Amino acid sequence: MTNGYRASAGIMLAPAVSLIGVFILLPMLLTVWLSFNDWSTQTPFSEAHFVGLANFHDIFGPTSVGRDFKGALVNTAIYTALSVAIILPLSVLFGLLVHQRDVGGGTLLRTVLFSTYMVPMIAVALVWSKLYSPSEGPFNQMLGLVGVGPQPWLSSPRSALISIVLLNVWQQVGYFTVLAIAGLTQIPGSLYEAATLDGANRTEQFRYITLPLLRRTLLFSAVIAIINAVQVFEPVALITQGGPVGSTNVLTYHIRRVGIERAQGGLGSAMAVMLMLSLIVAVCALFAIMNRKDDE
Amino acid sequence: MSAPTGSSSTLSRRRPAGRKALLATLMLLVAVASAFPLVWMVLSSLKTTAESMQVPPVWIPRKPTLEAYEKVAGVVNVSRSMWNSLVIATVTTAGILITSMMAGYAFAKYSFPGRGLLFSALLATMFLPPIVTLIPLYRMVGSIGLNASLAGIIVPNLANAFGIFLMRQFIAGVPDDLIDAARMDGASELLILFKIVAPTVAPAIAALALFAFVYHWNSYLWPLTVLQGNADSYPIVISLSRLLSYNRGAMNTGLVMAGATLAVLPPLILFVFLQRFFVDSIVSSAVKG
Repeated sequence: MTNGYRASAGIMLAPAVSLIGVFILLPMLLTVWLSFNDWSTQTPFSEAHFVGLANFHDIFGPTSVGRDFKGALVNTAIYTALSVAIILPLSVLFGLLVHQRDVGGGTLLRTVLFSTYMVPMIAVALVWSKLYSPSEGPFNQMLGLVGVGPQPWLSSPRSALISIVLLNVWQQVGYFTVLAIAGLTQIPGSLYEAATLDGANRTEQFRYITLPLLRRTLLFSAVIAIINAVQVFEPVALITQGGPVGSTNVLTYHIRRVGIERAQGGLGSAMAVMLMLSLIVAVCALFAIMNRKDDE
Repeated sequence: MSAPTGSSSTLSRRRPAGRKALLATLMLLVAVASAFPLVWMVLSSLKTTAESMQVPPVWIPRKPTLEAYEKVAGVVNVSRSMWNSLVIATVTTAGILITSMMAGYAFAKYSFPGRGLLFSALLATMFLPPIVTLIPLYRMVGSIGLNASLAGIIVPNLANAFGIFLMRQFIAGVPDDLIDAARMDGASELLILFKIVAPTVAPAIAALALFAFVYHWNSYLWPLTVLQGNADSYPIVISLSRLLSYNRGAMNTGLVMAGATLAVLPPLILFVFLQRFFVDSIVSSAVKG
């Protein structure tokens, strides 16, 4: 550590700090301020006028504004819960498959799994909307081969959201698998040896060694998975446009539609503030649960 | 079990062969399920129109053809969009590298008042969903005259917290003696950073460069918002969304999959050659954090 370089520190920090300050922190504060204002996105910020909590009353109110927002909030919550519930167990399972040394090919499997993470969402959307196609889509054709009738996938309000979850799981699970592998490699092999000597079988070793020692990794994964899930935008914008009948209308898509396309900047900002608060609550709840487990 | 190492091989010898077969089958199943969509995409892009429409479906084209790729060029201005994507991803990445190395160096090697607080504040922005800043940012970029342009896409993304965090982690490991020796020789701080520190953390810089490039090659929400329909400046991931309207019926499947393949190729090629760096940087962001 070097003292006496304050001027240099200023020069080194100036570009990054001013860019992040102007393009991330300032707009974040503006979002909070705009959420208490009536403001059209097509006008300068000076046109905004203070309306107190009116925007928040509207987005939780009984009108169509409120119904749409509450629907988007619920859809996002379902989407997030499903994503985390599917991705985390899969990432541990796939991580174990890559990490084990009894059968070769683990590294190749990791490459295959992680490569989907590089695929731009437009390609995912183009490919998966075809895979899901009710008539000529390969998924229904393959289901037909094993005697299962055609599924509606994206075209039914009951299955559209889970279909979007599944394509996102496919794209992202490789990233979380790499995180799981990183966690697994940190568990000392001597623990398993001791457990084997004590007569613990594989299931017991997983339950009493692997899972507890993966807890930090899983917490990190869960936080990242939640943050990713509340941001889901592209598959909805590209494939379903929020439909059918609003079943895939998620928050990021809805906020952009209200705040940019309809130019209702104040309302959109209030929704963005609620999204941020929900995210903070979800992440804090997660940490609280983990900490309570620590105390046990 | 005499030696503490090599335990897994000892264990595996005791394990029945059926277990290995089960593991291998499971791994194969996972790999096939994961690879299937992309393999199907490439195979479909090489089919003739007649093959695309055949019932029951043809899985592997009998005579692979590139005719679908020629058709994509008739729907989307591929070369223009690819160029736009290249400019956006390259310039943004260069900016991120410079700002991240400078700030990472400052956080790793200088002590100044408020350092911890400033670092935490910057780090917090890493977890902020972009939609939270989108509406005012859209207005701000418009009011400085950058909307509907490539500059409007690039400028707000020239610095980010992940890059600073990654660079700080790695630069902190560079010995102070190395830096002090260069200072004795009268080298300026910027020269020390780019000539002496940078080469010692080259793998981390490569990782960050790859991450930033792929992320900004693929990014969609911000370019879509800021470009306001200015198709001349569309990156490839936005141009290709036109193909979605061709996705009804089997007739244009080849065309659509050729377009998707074009979008996938640049990031996937980078990944295949340089995946070690990707994986290392993810691991370090998770483990060292």
